[in-house]
Amino acid sequence: MSSKPSPLFVLWVLIERDLRTLLKSPWILINRTAFFLIQLFVFAVLVNKLATSLGFNYFDFYSVGAVVSTITSIAFIIGEDLFEEEELGLLDYLLSLPFGHSLFVIGRALGGAVRGLIYVTPMMILVAYLDGYFSPVGIVGSLLVIFVLATGISGLSITLAMLIRNANRFDITIALAELATVRVSAAIYPLVYMPKVLQPVASYSPVTSASDIVRAIFLPGYSSAPYETLILILFLVVFFGLGSAFLFRKIEGGRFE
Amino acid sequence: MIEFKDVSKSFKNVDAVKGVTCEIRDREIFGLLGPNGAGKTTLIMTMATVYNPTKGEVVVDGHRAGTEPDKVKSLIGISFQDPKYDRILSAREILEWHAKVTGVEKGVRETRIDEVLSKFGLTGEAKKRTWMLSGGTKKKIENAKVFVQRPKIAVFDEPTAYLDVPSRLMVWDMIDELRDEGSTVVLATNMMDEADRMSDRVGIMSRGEMVQVGEPGRLKGSLRGRDVIELKLEAPVPELVGEVTKAEEVEEARFEGDVLKIVLSNGRGLLPLILNVVTAKGGKVQTANLKEPSLEDVFLFYTGMKLT
Repeated sequence: MSSKPSPLFVLWVLIERDLRTLLKSPWILINRTAFFLIQLFVFAVLVNKLATSLGFNYFDFYSVGAVVSTITSIAFIIGEDLFEEEELGLLDYLLSLPFGHSLFVIGRALGGAVRGLIYVTPMMILVAYLDGYFSPVGIVGSLLVIFVLATGISGLSITLAMLIRNANRFDITIALAELATVRVSAAIYPLVYMPKVLQPVASYSPVTSASDIVRAIFLPGYSSAPYETLILILFLVVFFGLGSAFLFRKIEGGRFE
Repeated sequence: MIEFKDVSKSFKNVDAVKGVTCEIRDREIFGLLGPNGAGKTTLIMTMATVYNPTKGEVVVDGHRAGTEPDKVKSLIGISFQDPKYDRILSAREILEWHAKVTGVEKGVRETRIDEVLSKFGLTGEAKKRTWMLSGGTKKKIENAKVFVQRPKIAVFDEPTAYLDVPSRLMVWDMIDELRDEGSTVVLATNMMDEADRMSDRVGIMSRGEMVQVGEPGRLKGSLRGRDVIELKLEAPVPELVGEVTKAEEVEEARFEGDVLKIVLSNGRGLLPLILNVVTAKGGKVQTANLKEPSLEDVFLFYTGMKLT
């Protein structure tokens, strides 16, 4: 016979499952790593040459944004996983396991963020090294910032997975959401060069906030406004809460009713 | 003990389970018998707290599924009809994760997994991603989850679907062992031989309702007048029809060619007497065959439809 595991242990085991499945998809990891490295060492280096004449170090600017974009993109996968789990009936199995539904919800949202964090930590360290920043405390702080962002993005992704039932519509929505959160932000290019109409939206984007805060930690001459920390925390609270609530409601209400 | 108290479950306009009331006793193998769509899986899911019943309640070991779902779930392990696990993972990874999350102690986890994998002949394939494996192997892995977990209440939904005969026999033995170790087993199946061989009691489900519950032997015995004796004679003796129908237990007798077919109750008890009568009237019996009601007949009798 078996004994009932503790909630903390269950939380870890749920996160571990997300890590295992991600690590078993090497092509996703290779693809995103290759994209990150090519963007950094080809795209950013080339654009940097153009931008140097303007007195702007684009490589440093972009390197931080690339890490933030990557974790955003990975955190979005959790919604795809949940959608697929429901389609394949795997959710029935997961919900029959000996832990509460609320623990399951928290575990999934955190799982999405933790696996993103584990995946981008080497990238963050590489970027810190390239930017000439060597303080372990600052690096840990920057990881914390992107973890907060990733948890919020996981919540957003779960929210979409719970709201959309059609697989094609869901795929398109997730792709658009990912595109919008990364592109309409200051992750890849400075706000001043964005179309005027997008600037107000981008300046309040959590991706912009995370990018600015990490840049302020790593790079001299950069700063972040206090409201950006607030935006990041608000984003986390709202979407972690929404994602959890929608998932919880779907589970408790009987998913097929 | 598992108690279903007037349990109903509806999905939109479909009443999947309708007012089921029954008990499953400790340490018994309870066969849940019914065709696909009879409501077996839905009933299991309400017991496992995955679905909330629309009406009624399920009580498992004294815990109400509706108000104490965590306690109920900690007692149950389910082998689903269609394998439900991450197919990107290997059999060993799936079993390790399942054992961990269901609270199998660390010290015994690996031993149990090795033991079950070996019994299923999966040791060589334990590290392959499961999406690459055959349907039968996937089903074995689904069953293996419960054998590794060894829960107090083990639920198997069509455990031998897609399996070959040797594997089927092995699964049956393993289920027996599980019960011998103290588990209560709920066995949902639409295979009569499986239900007959394995179950201490069966519950017959049809169109969402539990139409009959009882021991297979008793249910078969309850079908009076359903035994059939077939005597192949050297040549027909027409007067035998009148002679054998004199017995109170005989419902009907007729010749089909040179075979005397007698429909009766208690065929086993009356066979010697009937043979005596036939011999006395000059009939020369070449072969005698006694056919008693099967679970299939029981199912047909109570539901009005054939299961297979």
